[in-house]
Amino acid sequence: MTRAPVAVSPVQSLADALRLTREHRIRHLPVVHQGELVGIVSDRDIRLAMPSPLTEPDPGRADFLQSTPIAGIMSRNVITVGPSDAVEDAAKLMQRHHIGSLPVVDAHGALLGILTETDVLHAFVELLGPAGASSRLEIVLPDRAGQLARAMRIIGEERGVNVCSLMVPPGGPADRRVAIVHVGTIDPREVIAALEGAGFQVGWPSLERDLRAGGLA
Amino acid sequence: MTVPSALIWDPAVARYQFRPDHPFNPRRLELSVSLMESLGLINDTTARVVAPRMATEAELLAVHSREYVDAVRRFSAGGGTDDAPRYGLGTDDTPVFPGMHEVTSLVAGATLRAAELVMSGEVKRAFSICGGLHHAHRGRGSGFCVYSDLAAAIAWVRREHGGRVLYLDYDAHHGDGVQGIFYDDPEVMTLSLHESGRYLFPGTGFVDELGEGEGYGYSLNVPLEPFTEDDSWLAIHAKLLPEVMEAFRPDVILVQNGCDGHALDPLTHLRASTRLYEETIRLVCELADTHCNGRVIATGGGGYAVWEVVPRAWTLIWGGLSGQPVPDRIPHDWLNRWQGEAPVLLPERVRDDPAAHKPVPRREEIEATNRRTLESLRRQALPLIRGWDLGW
Repeated sequence: MTRAPVAVSPVQSLADALRLTREHRIRHLPVVHQGELVGIVSDRDIRLAMPSPLTEPDPGRADFLQSTPIAGIMSRNVITVGPSDAVEDAAKLMQRHHIGSLPVVDAHGALLGILTETDVLHAFVELLGPAGASSRLEIVLPDRAGQLARAMRIIGEERGVNVCSLMVPPGGPADRRVAIVHVGTIDPREVIAALEGAGFQVGWPSLERDLRAGGLA
Repeated sequence: MTVPSALIWDPAVARYQFRPDHPFNPRRLELSVSLMESLGLINDTTARVVAPRMATEAELLAVHSREYVDAVRRFSAGGGTDDAPRYGLGTDDTPVFPGMHEVTSLVAGATLRAAELVMSGEVKRAFSICGGLHHAHRGRGSGFCVYSDLAAAIAWVRREHGGRVLYLDYDAHHGDGVQGIFYDDPEVMTLSLHESGRYLFPGTGFVDELGEGEGYGYSLNVPLEPFTEDDSWLAIHAKLLPEVMEAFRPDVILVQNGCDGHALDPLTHLRASTRLYEETIRLVCELADTHCNGRVIATGGGGYAVWEVVPRAWTLIWGGLSGQPVPDRIPHDWLNRWQGEAPVLLPERVRDDPAAHKPVPRREEIEATNRRTLESLRRQALPLIRGWDLGW
């Protein structure tokens, strides 16, 4: 999240709000009154409230922006999150309610920060980011207790190779999972042979593209 | 037309070996040099062998931390190795071995010797066949690499001669060590073409790794799709390299000639043939003649199809560097000398037969992805090179 984000008060004008979104290149302004979050206004709210420059070539446009208070157009039922909520829960809220940002408030409703789509995207990129010098393998795991542990033991204990990162995305066929594993070696051939020897199907570079899996045969 | 050239070689560099069964097998050096000899590509005048020297400690410290060099010395002398993993050593990839400091200093010295010969004008091109340890970082080893001969040579050129160095890396793995050491340096441009780090070690080398600070725009990466073949690779190279040369105007080129992108290499998924190596080095030398007085410092690098690929690929590199046509037929004396030891049937021709290449089924998709990668890099990076839009 962004701490101490740019915020406005409900009595400020639309002109102020528009100026702030442009100056700071932001799309969402939390509205704070007496230390408490009371609403949120987006650049889209502002543009929708403005008289269309197409239908009314408008001398009164500047006046309108100056004289309309933010309180008149802001959304009042703001969906918020707390500072220790999980980022995946926040992302789900944004997806379910089709919103681009979530103000972060403390137990008393005071504004602490704002979480935007960009922040969530950054977290995602970080999560999938480089795992350290490693080779990427895909391992097909029968969806039963102990299979992942068995595969990891082969890599780590039997072959003595470090597992730098591990992801087992949900979904796919019911009876199996695919683990995406980064192993800390330039030469994963022996790791692959050991896994295959133990009955695991392994993809390198990936199952879909792998010669041995028939993808390119 | 022959070009004054030096091959930096001494059988002593073959002591850079981690274990008898380690994939980074120095046998390939001996096989390569003997194939060059057998084909008559080495003589006492224009294409001669020059012995390496040891890198000095100061030359190593120009690109490595004192702490790292001290640690390597200690492991080399048989000292305690408990902290080896902190330095990327003592792993299956890059184990500790007695004398590793000395022999890696000799490998670094070989590439330094190549740089000296080229920069003094004694030769136009030099090939440090044992060099190319592009995964070594400032403070740690990685991926078969202990000291960075490449970075040491670049730092030497910068200190002794100034000028701009273009580092080209054709190894199938990203040249992460060299890129990292010069990431903020606008006088050293690094360009690495490799199989995408999405799948292959070391997992880096994406288009958005463009450098930092003053060096922003001076690190270039072309991550190729797995199963990329000659045509797609060469088309990208032929489009990009002239533009980079034009924009950056280097004073010398240092080129790492890893040949592990060959279809027969067991450690990668690229599908190059020997044509790739012959054509890339030809274009590099041609552009060097136009832009930097022909100065090319070359090294070896990765290459794990030790018997079938490396000797042929590096013989073609040497032929290209020294301007000597390489006969296609491999002499019987060479085949007879080595076939007994070879675990595979040795090829009888230097160049792969294009008819023997099995086309990759997803070729169109792979080529389209590679084209998008190239365009994305050109769009982002070329405008960042100072003077690019001026056309000089």
